[in-house]
Amino acid sequence: MKWILVLPFLLVAPLVANEEGGWRERLAESLHLASPDGDWRAQISGNLTLEGFKGHQSNPGLVLFEDDTLFHPRLTLFADAELGPQVYGFVQVRVDRGLDPAEGSMEIRLDEYAIRFSPKGAGMSLQLGQFAAVIGNWMARHDAWQNPFVGAPLPYEYLTGVYDERAPRSLADLGPAAGVDEYAYLPIVWGPSYATGVSLSGRWGKFDYAVELKNTGPSSRPDAWPVSAVDFSHPAFNARLVYRPDLRVKLGLSYSDSAYLLPSAAGSVPPGRSFGDYRQRLVAQDFSFEWRRLQVWAETFQSTFDVPGGSVDTYAGYVETRVKVTPQFFTALRWNRQVHSTVGQGASRFRWGENTTRYDLATVYRFTPDSQLKLQVTSNHPSGDPSEVGVAYAAQYCLRF
Amino acid sequence: MSPLRRFALGSALCVGSLVAASEGVVEGRVALPKAESAPVVQQRYEIVSKEGTVATNPPLAVVYIEGPFARTEAAKVVQLAQRDLAFIPSLLPVQTGTRVEFPNYDDTFHNVFSFSPAKRFDLGRYRPTDTPVPSQVFDLPGLVTIRCEIHQHMRALILVLDTPHFVLTDAEGNFRLTGVPAGTREVKAWINSKVTRARTVEIAPGSTVRIDFP
Repeated sequence: MKWILVLPFLLVAPLVANEEGGWRERLAESLHLASPDGDWRAQISGNLTLEGFKGHQSNPGLVLFEDDTLFHPRLTLFADAELGPQVYGFVQVRVDRGLDPAEGSMEIRLDEYAIRFSPKGAGMSLQLGQFAAVIGNWMARHDAWQNPFVGAPLPYEYLTGVYDERAPRSLADLGPAAGVDEYAYLPIVWGPSYATGVSLSGRWGKFDYAVELKNTGPSSRPDAWPVSAVDFSHPAFNARLVYRPDLRVKLGLSYSDSAYLLPSAAGSVPPGRSFGDYRQRLVAQDFSFEWRRLQVWAETFQSTFDVPGGSVDTYAGYVETRVKVTPQFFTALRWNRQVHSTVGQGASRFRWGENTTRYDLATVYRFTPDSQLKLQVTSNHPSGDPSEVGVAYAAQYCLRF
Repeated sequence: MSPLRRFALGSALCVGSLVAASEGVVEGRVALPKAESAPVVQQRYEIVSKEGTVATNPPLAVVYIEGPFARTEAAKVVQLAQRDLAFIPSLLPVQTGTRVEFPNYDDTFHNVFSFSPAKRFDLGRYRPTDTPVPSQVFDLPGLVTIRCEIHQHMRALILVLDTPHFVLTDAEGNFRLTGVPAGTREVKAWINSKVTRARTVEIAPGSTVRIDFP
């Protein structure tokens, strides 16, 4: 029934003033701050999103709800500031029921903050704060307005059999058999991975590069991202290199090496070992092409988690395309696949995670330059359990200001 | 000079004088709103930051003689460029039927679009090297807001007018509109989407009329 709450917004959306000088323009002007000489300037902006999910076979955006439907409002506020020509900073604050809205009550949360210094003529930037990881090409377009889908690609949200709340006792202690809290299971990359740290990025000819040290790795869950939760005793190292043969094409290579257990898991680690010895190593390749009304993105990931008795691997990838059909209407299609290695010997050999294929189809209609509606259909095809094959639906109304 | 050429030149001068004699000049000053500070460029997930500050154009006004007037010359082609992550100029008055080209002079993609009722279009993502330069014909009078889908801070206005008699003020608000047909004319000063001031003036042939829009 909560879906009914969405209807007034959908009815009002086409009526939202689109003209120059309308409410959106006046609001943006009132949220623009500047010193008299214009040397420092700040702009507050944001998104109001109303999301609805139906069908629990899918867990879009790591939304682990048990009921058949879920309604989720979210207010995202950004502050972007420039202090002279060399210093830039931004903050992202969200008001919602959490990055996984299936549980919890409304809260205000500081998700991102960073300050970036770009020395004059150096072609590089140094950034400090809590901000999205430099891995892959989805991070730069994960914002609700830009992402043509309601959720993330599979490698950014599909839970593996590895978890962070304690060290696994053996290979057999992976997956559902471990009996840990479902929020303890880790994807390859946890959404945008807003961990805390420092990054150095820049451009050299046709190459873009970025390296960063973060307090925790790309698979870590949101609770671990603030430096108050996890310190730098076992820092994560992330790196990315992008080759741009042409403005239309980008080829990227990412690498990450990090500890994946939470510090609170230290007590579960065998004598002589540290929780920092349980590493996640990640190699990712990405590709993007954009021209005129077509955009294509693809990424592949190979992630290795150290576990007792060796390591386990998972491989994931997706291909995503967005086509603008008219100035206001576009459609997007995404194919996702994730597979896991087998572990053990002989008859006891087993696959440590569930392989799956997922298809996402979305249509987006922009009522105005600042309001849009997404409708998404997701078809899940986990291998090994035909009863889990199913279709899920999601809708998202987004008002940008 | 042959007699025929002499006759043709004489006729042209004569007609030109008659036309000039039937036209007047309107000049004056428009009180402009105060200048806004430069926008903040969102670069949250850019690997390479843009150095420096985006340039801003001072607020200008468009002064025009209310039409409609018959088109006296072939449709023009004008440009609204994208340079240093800004539209240049940020305010462009054109007559109906004008083709506007949108050249990209930046080393990055731009995606020019408009949802304005007077002109709805989307040029898609294009590079500085893409030819022909993407363009649109503006057939209907009205205000068209031009945006870039990739760079949220980029914005320009095209004021499509049903008259060939218009001029942009300078940064101080001064204007001079020549070649205005003599007679009783309504002179308008478009200041922004909410404010357009109008004055009716009598323009005698060969005269200069001064009006200010406070």
